[in-house]
Amino acid sequence: MAVIFDGIAYGLQLGLLAVGLTLIYGLGGVLNLAHGQFAVVTAIAATVLVDVGLPMPLAILAAIALAGMLALAFDASLMRPVYRLRGEARVLLSLLLTIGAAFVIDGLLIYYYPFAALNVDISGSAVNVLGVAMRRGSLAASLLAVLALGTLILFLRYTRRGKAVRSVIQDEEGAQLCGINPARVRTAVFVLSGVLAGVAAVAEGLTSSLGATDGLDLTILALIVTVVGGLGSVAGALVAGLLLGIVYTLSSFYIGAYVTFIILLLAAMLTILVRPSGLMGKGA
Amino acid sequence: MDDTRVPVGTEEAGAAVAEAQRARPLRAYLPVVVTAVVLGALPLLIGDSRYFLSLAVLMLVFAGYGVAFNIIFGNTEQLFLCLGALAGISGYTAAILGNRLQLPMLLGVLIGALLSALLGAAFSWVSVRRRLGVIFVGIITLSFSLVFANVLLGQRDLTGGETGLIIESAPGVVAGRGVGAYYVFLALLTVFLACHRWLQRSHVGWAFRALRDDEVAAELAGIDVARFKLIAGVIGSLMVGLVGGLYAYYEGFISPSTYAVGQVDIPVLVMLAFGGIGSLLGPVVGAAVFAVVDELLRPLSSIRTTVYGAILLVLFLGFRHGVIPALTGLGRRVRNRRTPRT
Repeated sequence: MAVIFDGIAYGLQLGLLAVGLTLIYGLGGVLNLAHGQFAVVTAIAATVLVDVGLPMPLAILAAIALAGMLALAFDASLMRPVYRLRGEARVLLSLLLTIGAAFVIDGLLIYYYPFAALNVDISGSAVNVLGVAMRRGSLAASLLAVLALGTLILFLRYTRRGKAVRSVIQDEEGAQLCGINPARVRTAVFVLSGVLAGVAAVAEGLTSSLGATDGLDLTILALIVTVVGGLGSVAGALVAGLLLGIVYTLSSFYIGAYVTFIILLLAAMLTILVRPSGLMGKGA
Repeated sequence: MDDTRVPVGTEEAGAAVAEAQRARPLRAYLPVVVTAVVLGALPLLIGDSRYFLSLAVLMLVFAGYGVAFNIIFGNTEQLFLCLGALAGISGYTAAILGNRLQLPMLLGVLIGALLSALLGAAFSWVSVRRRLGVIFVGIITLSFSLVFANVLLGQRDLTGGETGLIIESAPGVVAGRGVGAYYVFLALLTVFLACHRWLQRSHVGWAFRALRDDEVAAELAGIDVARFKLIAGVIGSLMVGLVGGLYAYYEGFISPSTYAVGQVDIPVLVMLAFGGIGSLLGPVVGAAVFAVVDELLRPLSSIRTTVYGAILLVLFLGFRHGVIPALTGLGRRVRNRRTPRT
């Protein structure tokens, strides 16, 4: 039973990680392969700020704000030429540009902070009884994820801005006719996805640790979850996150870590082949 | 991007030149011959330096991968992010067959390359059948690459896991790592380039161009899009398999990192972005520049990754079609300005 709980906790984290990616895709038809790097930047920034002397909560908030700013910079620079294209060409260029950006960030972080890793220890005492200390961390991470995801869903469902976002996802031209500026909405959502990646980094830091080399792995995990849930579907990302989180924990508990990753990858491949729109996606 | 140098004049003149070129096929293959001659003379420049020779071989290997990727992605927009895995399937097959069953190198590499071609065919077939968009093909093939890497790590008994596999082959031209090996890879590359040129000039090339411009229109015009995508996928994957298998014997040692996405697919992407996706000689130019740049950047350790990322960004932001086509396009414009039009 403890395994299932761990799985749910991990699944919430996966959902949190994937939801930003899927939002951007749904909104602009853009795939951001530097998504994991947003999380890593947050983690490294938080550790650096703590080293400087800031208290942990403040450092984390500042680091998340930095991730949002980085996303804003992305949107203002790299995404400009991307949005000028349409359809397949747009996805392709976004993919290639964000891969390039991911490398730029990775190289710099690994060079300057090879050993920095975010590790938010909330158990208080350092070496603890193994299970209990971890349990607390993952409980806090789950709470954080639920809080962030809940806020996101409430925002999308009930606020004016959230409704604007959903209207652009449904029909860009129609939204424009209603006086919504899609470019502004896209920018806002890009920043939002950066912030969500930052929160995901904190959740990761609560349960394990997050270092400079983890960006690509996070992106791939987020991509798998997003694909299984359906590119562009927020609810799909959550369901797929939970599902894959439970599968992941069960499988690595009973079978082994390397087979587990293969299972996740095969799940993504199978989804594309059988139902490209994903679990909760709109029909193709 | 077709870089047969048809001077841009009136439509008629262009058509006439194209007609003349078809009549004189030698002209069309001139770039291939020139490349072979220039690269053939390279060992004379290098002399006895084993180090530079191995760099030159690496350049040829990547040029080979590049030509293959060019055929698959540049011509038919199938984003195969599994070049490394396709090369690795061939490499590991050849190595394991050689080590366990004492199969000769050539036979092992051929079997391995056929396996790669089969897999490439499967990817093409599936993506055409399911009408997958570019990114979905990318994600599927990338997932496959990661699955392959994990299987290599997991199946220790067969692949040696992380420590890799030493290939116990009888000493030969390729395994000797000398000038002979260089010429073997050069011969292979020349065949690839000639094959690509031949494809471009045949009805397959016309179909490629049509379906790259507009797939729906091509289909409406009666072009069997599925068939031509499959052709590109199979030929490209076969090429990747041949290079990957031979490279295993050349190195004498392979490990999962030899064929990792970051070691093969990403550099090929950077090279092609530089040389120009779709152009005949793009992969060769890209690989040559990459070899030099990579050597210069070696002392920079992980900052290298940053530089490659920046190169990718600049290339895709500034030169959507690659530097070489941009330069030739510039040259063409200058030439046109000088010769007054009639």
